[in-house]
Amino acid sequence: MASSAPRKRAATVITEVDATRATDLYRTVARIRAAELVLQRHITEHGFGGFWHPGLGQEGVQAGAVAALRTDDYMFIAHRGLGYALAKGMSLESLFGDLFARTVGSTGGKGGGTVHFVDPERGVLGQGGAIGSSFVLGAGAAISGQMLGTDRVCAIFFGDGASSRGTWHESALQASVWKLPIVWICENNGWAVSARISEQSPTENIADRASAYGVPGVIVDGQDAIAVFDAVTEAVDRARAGHGPTLIEAKTMRIRGHYEGDRQKYRDDLLVGDEIPRDPLGILREHVPASVADQLDDDARHEAESVLASVLEAPRADPSIIYKDVWS
Amino acid sequence: MTEQRTQESPGDGVSTINYALAINHAMAEEMRRDSRVWILGQDVGRMGGVFGVTRGLLDEFGPLRVRDTAINETFIVGAAAGAAMTGTIPIAELQFADFMLIAGDEIFGKLAKWRYMHGGKLSLPAVVRVPTGLLGGVGAEHSQSLEVLGMHFPGVKVALPSTPADAKGLLKSAIRDPNPVLFFEHKGLYRVKGEVPDDPEFLVPFGVAAVRRRGDALTVIATGMMVDRTLAAADVLAREGHEVEVIDPRTLVPLDMETILESVQRTGRAMIVHEAVRTAGAGAEIASRIHEELFFALDAPVWRLGAIDTPIPQDPELEQLCIPQVPGIVEAMRGLIAL
Ligand SMILES: Cc1ncc(C[n+]2csc(CCOP(=O)(O)OP(=O)(O)O)c2C)c(N)n1
Ligand SMILES: [Mg+2]
Repeated sequence: MASSAPRKRAATVITEVDATRATDLYRTVARIRAAELVLQRHITEHGFGGFWHPGLGQEGVQAGAVAALRTDDYMFIAHRGLGYALAKGMSLESLFGDLFARTVGSTGGKGGGTVHFVDPERGVLGQGGAIGSSFVLGAGAAISGQMLGTDRVCAIFFGDGASSRGTWHESALQASVWKLPIVWICENNGWAVSARISEQSPTENIADRASAYGVPGVIVDGQDAIAVFDAVTEAVDRARAGHGPTLIEAKTMRIRGHYEGDRQKYRDDLLVGDEIPRDPLGILREHVPASVADQLDDDARHEAESVLASVLEAPRADPSIIYKDVWS
Repeated sequence: MTEQRTQESPGDGVSTINYALAINHAMAEEMRRDSRVWILGQDVGRMGGVFGVTRGLLDEFGPLRVRDTAINETFIVGAAAGAAMTGTIPIAELQFADFMLIAGDEIFGKLAKWRYMHGGKLSLPAVVRVPTGLLGGVGAEHSQSLEVLGMHFPGVKVALPSTPADAKGLLKSAIRDPNPVLFFEHKGLYRVKGEVPDDPEFLVPFGVAAVRRRGDALTVIATGMMVDRTLAAADVLAREGHEVEVIDPRTLVPLDMETILESVQRTGRAMIVHEAVRTAGAGAEIASRIHEELFFALDAPVWRLGAIDTPIPQDPELEQLCIPQVPGIVEAMRGLIAL
């Protein structure tokens, strides 16, 4: 049935692979979206012991980029939602478990509040609370991958704000000189808390900086998961072949506040209601039959609701966990 | 510790080499033993390091395992952290310990915390080698003793060897340790020679202090460059009829308080001598712990000698006035014993 889906971009007949790809991406985006919405509602109604940085509207970048990776590829996530980790195959239970400091979380109950999801088996190596930590860490993972004789690639997600850190500059130079297998994926959502991109960057595009580092800079529509998948796939192939890193800038938008509950008084481009302009789900629907998409939406909603309910029932860790894992 | 002493005793299989070469041998041996061990830092390859500590390693192990970096301390330590959590064992060299602050978040926010934050799912077996202390005219930004920082950020171990043998044995232990280690090499000790075991399995364990001299009049805990000065001062006191016990903790994290407390229990008097600034230095912590544990066994308060509360001046003669000297240590020993 998927093969009968219409395709807008080209006049050619849609292939089986494309249809499957579009459906898979739709499923991932729908699952992230459902998780986002269920969290948003829960936090609005019950509050939250930490800061949740919603990724609503940015699911297309996260799903499209991660789909271009292999399970064993390394990945450093950013703080904007849980889409990266969910797309890499971590269970929603383990992610919600971290957000609510339950033992079912990937950190065994040590998480809570802001995200430090981790899953070494799936290459998910965590996230630094200091924005821009991942550039240098990711370079190290890429070096390990090379030295251990693997062809693993390291994907590093970051925001437009993070691109101002010195860690970026140091890593971009050294990784380019050493041709490290890295793909940098910038989610440019136009804001770093209350700072507009135009106040942080003298050039319109973050990707414009790539040439100074001697790496390709690619701009892609972050609302179009397939376009992101294609761009990241090319960069991953390049990295895997030993040709070095690529900087990908996905143009997207921050629909909600910096954190859930942020009243955004500083913002003059506020979007009203639940409307997401250029919704990644809507764009994918052009390639997925409506009945399939509807079903995937339902499945995702059901998953998010039931997992949240069960996680909230799950136990918190014994308080002695505060002493654990300082040392190996 | 008994075992340690027998290994240290000279005899067959011992070479007299300097502290820098002892460190070099430690790295070379561990890199031969384990192909996951590698080095990164500025000028560590072609030049063999600004202090010559990595000489010859590029030739033996090649440019993928001995990597010359750009001037990017944040990258050096951050990449070491990322590599450590993904299955290799990096040894990062900073040219001066002072530059730890440039990589502050990478050392104290990443190496020290990543395992804890991520529920123990990752290990970070990295070593950060940092040349520390006065060298003679390298100035305020290249002379500091910052080892106390490692004590204040749970999650990193701290070694501070004072002899060539300890430098080799502690570094080999550090490389084999699954935890991140800050390894403070005193710049003023690099050319000092001593007997060092050749055995590639010679290891000095962390958390085991070395009693450098036995005595009953006073316990002095000294670190790094101050160990030799304290021993010289103790010789003067011995001629005056007072036997001073000198303990070199060798590692500050973990810290062998057991050996220190056992000694102070016997002598009733204690003093700490370090090159780091006295205010809020490691000595302040050690003194507090002695007071807490042994208040009623003490005959006098615990004293501390350390650097004065100023930056280190550029001039080589002036800089020495900032840190403890043998005559000052002698005087303090006499004063504390007389109390
Ligand atoms: C080094 C550092 N400085 C400041 C902060 C506080 N902070 C958290 S997120 C953020 C904005 C990040 O913006 P961006 O990288 O664009 O990501 P976005 O939030 O838009 O997804 C700031 C300033 C931090 N966590 N770390
Ligand atoms: Mg942003």
